Amino acid sequence: MRTARLVCAVVLLAACVAGAVSADISLEYAIRAAYLAKFAPFIEWPDSAFATPGAAINICILGSDPFGAALDRAAASVTGGRPLLVRRLASPELASACQILYLANNEAAASLPAGLSERPVVTVSEAGGAGMIAFVVDGNHVRFDIDDDAAQHSGIHISSKLLSLAHAVKHKAAAP
Amino acid sequence: MSGTGKQDVNWPVLAALVAAALLLVLGLLMARYEDEIYTAQQERDVGEQAQILAASITAAVSFDDEGAAQEYVRALTVNPQLRAAGVYGQRGTLIAHFARSGALPATAPEPGTQIAGGSMTITVPVNQDGHAIGAVILRADTESLQRRVTRYAGLILLVTMGALVIAVLSLSQAALIRRARQLTEVNTRLQVEMGERQKTEDALRQSQKMEAIGQLSGGIAHDFNNLIMIAKGNLRLLQRKLGTTMPNAAHHITQADEALDRATSLTQRVLAFSRRQPLSPQPVRLSELIAGIGELLRHSVGERTTIQTSLDAQWWTLCDVNQMENVILNLAINARDAMPGGGTLVIATRDAALSHAPADVTDFTPGDYVLVSLRDSGEGMSEDVRRRALDPFFTTKPQGKGTGLGLSMAFGFVRQSNGHLAIESAPGAGTTIAIYMPRYRESES
Repeated sequence: MRTARLVCAVVLLAACVAGAVSADISLEYAIRAAYLAKFAPFIEWPDSAFATPGAAINICILGSDPFGAALDRAAASVTGGRPLLVRRLASPELASACQILYLANNEAAASLPAGLSERPVVTVSEAGGAGMIAFVVDGNHVRFDIDDDAAQHSGIHISSKLLSLAHAVKHKAAAP
Repeated sequence: MSGTGKQDVNWPVLAALVAAALLLVLGLLMARYEDEIYTAQQERDVGEQAQILAASITAAVSFDDEGAAQEYVRALTVNPQLRAAGVYGQRGTLIAHFARSGALPATAPEPGTQIAGGSMTITVPVNQDGHAIGAVILRADTESLQRRVTRYAGLILLVTMGALVIAVLSLSQAALIRRARQLTEVNTRLQVEMGERQKTEDALRQSQKMEAIGQLSGGIAHDFNNLIMIAKGNLRLLQRKLGTTMPNAAHHITQADEALDRATSLTQRVLAFSRRQPLSPQPVRLSELIAGIGELLRHSVGERTTIQTSLDAQWWTLCDVNQMENVILNLAINARDAMPGGGTLVIATRDAALSHAPADVTDFTPGDYVLVSLRDSGEGMSEDVRRRALDPFFTTKPQGKGTGLGLSMAFGFVRQSNGHLAIESAPGAGTTIAIYMPRYRESES
């Protein structure tokens, strides 16, 4: 079922973000930027993830930023709930302060601190990367896989609504 | 009678109509109420479905995932009541929908419920963190035509059955009332007829009794008369033989002869009663006959009885004039005897065309009659006496005063002359003897 699901047509999304797409980034990355911002409402972090109850959700980029201003605009467009802040990390040491962490490349993934997988940080990467959520390109569509097992291991709850949109979901092998 | 009958028929029908109308109004109100309840229920149901769809489709709307949205929408097609369903994306355009009939608006309408043309359209926003990011639209029949028709058909059937039951009950009750009244009428008529039959039977029995007595006594009287003749003839011979030799015997012979005369008279009267006396009928006007014996009548009844006459009859009749004079004289004397302290005797004659038999008269032929009536102002008779008055040898007079043959002889003569005789009397109200003689037309031309 899930594999049969069609995701948003690139063409339609192109109309959505057309204004935001600048010459230097591809349409695909504009979509990724929008997705990054839109993940937030469907993810629940434990209280320990935030310093204060009203604290913002930090969307961090580790490695070279492929989104540019598109991500800032996407973050601003998501209203309601906690505010979204985009941070471009200079050092992987700061990663534990993030709630969503985009790993721009494998080097970035490799540079992460050892204990980060225990922290409530949703890591996002390209296909084959180490992120809990991984962007995949299925035909002409940008989609994503979700490693729900890893997310739960970090104390993060991903909404079933989001899971239902995923291209593939990795669940815990066998629930006790 | 017909007026009340009409009312009896109309009231139940009216009541049935009113009851049926009430049932119908009540049924319509109930149907309307059910309609409203059903519509509200439907609105609630569809609204809840829309809310569920809106809640579950947030991610699909948020990520503009038309495929996922379409899948959610398609899942709703299993509900046959839904005519159409749609999801509007973040830009307010339709991103997923199905429609069995009609079309959905191209852009998201305002949230709320619209009911029109048998269908309701419910729009619910898709919220994310308190912000609308899209909308869900559901359209459903307020109620299927089939369901409504079925419900109204059931209602109409119920009302019709109810009205029918009421009508049938009312009509049968009216019929029962009518039947009961008919039975009562028939019963009353039966009672009357039974009474009349009883009277007729009594009269018939009386007349048969008279007939039998008449035949018996007539036969005896006839033979008696012959024996008396023989006795008289022999007495005459004896008188002739002894008249000269035994002067003393003449007295005894005369005595015996007189006794035989009285016996002759008696047998004559019995014969008259038994209708076997020889009669020589001739045409006569009874008014003239009575006028002719006026002096004799007055002499017979004496000074204490006043005779008034009212002789209006003009028609002729056929009868033995001497016997008729005798009868009237006898009746007048009877009347006198009924008025020991004096009184008035009214003798009247009149012409009468009778279509019905007078009271107590049997064997009557309707037609023209000359009626003679003698009405006294005497003491009258009890019903018992009146009924037996015509019986031979029945008398209320002291022993030796009357023979009990006067009235029966008159009756016998009148019947022999094809006439009728009736007695009308009540204690204290006098007695009227009426004689009906058939009209004799041949002398009138």
